Amino acid sequence: MRRALRTALVGTLTAAGLLAGCGLGPGSAPTGVRLTVSSEFGARVLRQLSAPRVRGRETVISLLLRNNAVKTRYGGGFVQSIDGRAGGQSAGQPIDWFYYVNGVEAPKGAADTVVHGGDRIWWDLHDWSQTQDIPAVVGSFPEPFVHGVAGKRLPVRVECADVQGEPCRTVTARLRAFGVPAAISTIAPGEEPSTLRVLVGPWPTLAGDPAAQGIGRGPAASGVYARPSADGTTLSLLNADGTVVRTLTAGAGLIAATRYAQSAPVWVLTGTDSAGLARAAKAFDPATLRNRFAVALAPSGEALAVPR
Amino acid sequence: MRPARFYRRLASPLHAARAGIGALWVASLCAAALLLYNPLALAALALAVLGAAAGAGVGRHVAGTLRTALIVALPIVLVNVLVTRDGLTVFARLGDLGPFGQGDLTVEALVYGAVIALKVSTLIVITTLAGLAVDPDEMLRGLRRLSFRSALTASLATRMIPLLAADAQRLDEAQRTRPDGAPGGARGRLALFGAVLGGSLDRAMDVAATLELRGFAHATRARPRLRGVRRPWSRHDLAFAVSASVVVALALAGRLTGAASFTAYPELLVRLDAGTLALCAALAVAVLMPACDRRGIEP
Repeated sequence: MRRALRTALVGTLTAAGLLAGCGLGPGSAPTGVRLTVSSEFGARVLRQLSAPRVRGRETVISLLLRNNAVKTRYGGGFVQSIDGRAGGQSAGQPIDWFYYVNGVEAPKGAADTVVHGGDRIWWDLHDWSQTQDIPAVVGSFPEPFVHGVAGKRLPVRVECADVQGEPCRTVTARLRAFGVPAAISTIAPGEEPSTLRVLVGPWPTLAGDPAAQGIGRGPAASGVYARPSADGTTLSLLNADGTVVRTLTAGAGLIAATRYAQSAPVWVLTGTDSAGLARAAKAFDPATLRNRFAVALAPSGEALAVPR
Repeated sequence: MRPARFYRRLASPLHAARAGIGALWVASLCAAALLLYNPLALAALALAVLGAAAGAGVGRHVAGTLRTALIVALPIVLVNVLVTRDGLTVFARLGDLGPFGQGDLTVEALVYGAVIALKVSTLIVITTLAGLAVDPDEMLRGLRRLSFRSALTASLATRMIPLLAADAQRLDEAQRTRPDGAPGGARGRLALFGAVLGGSLDRAMDVAATLELRGFAHATRARPRLRGVRRPWSRHDLAFAVSASVVVALALAGRLTGAASFTAYPELLVRLDAGTLALCAALAVAVLMPACDRRGIEP
């Protein structure tokens, strides 16, 4: 009886350990991982590896260490420099290394974030004088829609001001082309902790959504360096210092990602008018969004990286 | 009777050398232990120090401190393995440890922890050798020219240590002679510690009062010795001075030339070639050489 109890206990503990990710050796390696190292909000790509070296289970920091010359601090918990480019001060502004997994700012340190199959890891050295917190970026598209957040695929809902409109159909079709089963609905403001929402509509129709409201308040509130005016007729593009460097008027669009409170990331495709929204929907593809924190579409159709 | 764990003038080259040179030699060994990170070079240095301790007649005592060193070394290795995230070769995964993050234990963290533990153990061994083979009174006599009161205070303090050890031994024996025997375990040790501590405080008060009576506060700097009285350098003084210089030079050369290079993170990179082996051999010879000259070592 006692022996059986002991065996059961050992068995339970072993199973619990295995389920919790315990074990000997490096574990199984994630596949399809991509690693990007850039600076200045993605403006300068320093290294882009479509098949970085992986060996067993990797954390974000171990993947980086394996593929780049990295200097760390605090026992490997904080990245000081990558390939000789260090954080500190640049032109009087504070700069540091930040990382995103599938375009989402991780809530934990790089040493504690496990890399899952298909993840896109993006390290960027940038000025954080305006905000240290950029909760989501668009430059890893089609992530996080395909592989999700923290190894968990999340339901995707495209919320449109006009569900029958061309922009809504374009966005949904693009997502479905990547195998993402995107649902469509009208705009339903609210906190969604486990649904990736894509808001599609002219700015005034989105302004009631808390995530969109954050964009209206500027980078400190949303991490987006573009600010639509209250009536949505102009779009101010900011630089890393938070200074307005260009103002777009009729026909301008914006693709940005943010997060509100505990919600899952929210993507926003909007425009100063219907033409601008159509431009944003048309630009909703990996080539246009690659390595950009957000994208503004000029009336000429030119895609402008944000911040400028 | 248990042999004393304090300085006693023995017939050995290190005991025969003047205290200043002995201290310099020990300092050079400490410098080498701090400069070197290559595990092979550190191990060679540690073994050579143990050999030198045997040559000084205190090998058993010095080797005995390795047990104490282990108490310090094991937590160093354990903590480093658990907290360092710089390594890449995972040998065990403990899963998500909540506030401590991912428990990925790496070979690099284990080896680096072991190297630091070896470094600390080597330093413990070296300082133990210094305590057993370098005359503290002679050292303090040298220091009194710089600060008489500090030298006197330090001298008295070092004198107190063997006295307290003797007290503890006596009290221990007295406890054991009681009809119901000495209280065992932690309780017994605590009682002994309390008695020794109380005795030490009483002694400290007595010493302070005596110092006060003898005008400690008005003490002046000691006059330098006359030229004619200066003790000439012995063969052992010279040997240990040369050894000290060579040990430091070798450690520096090992660092600067990369012969003793060692990188733990992100992946282990230990240099182990003819240059490293030559450095290890040279270090061992430099440390052990002065201990080989057995002439003129009698107290």
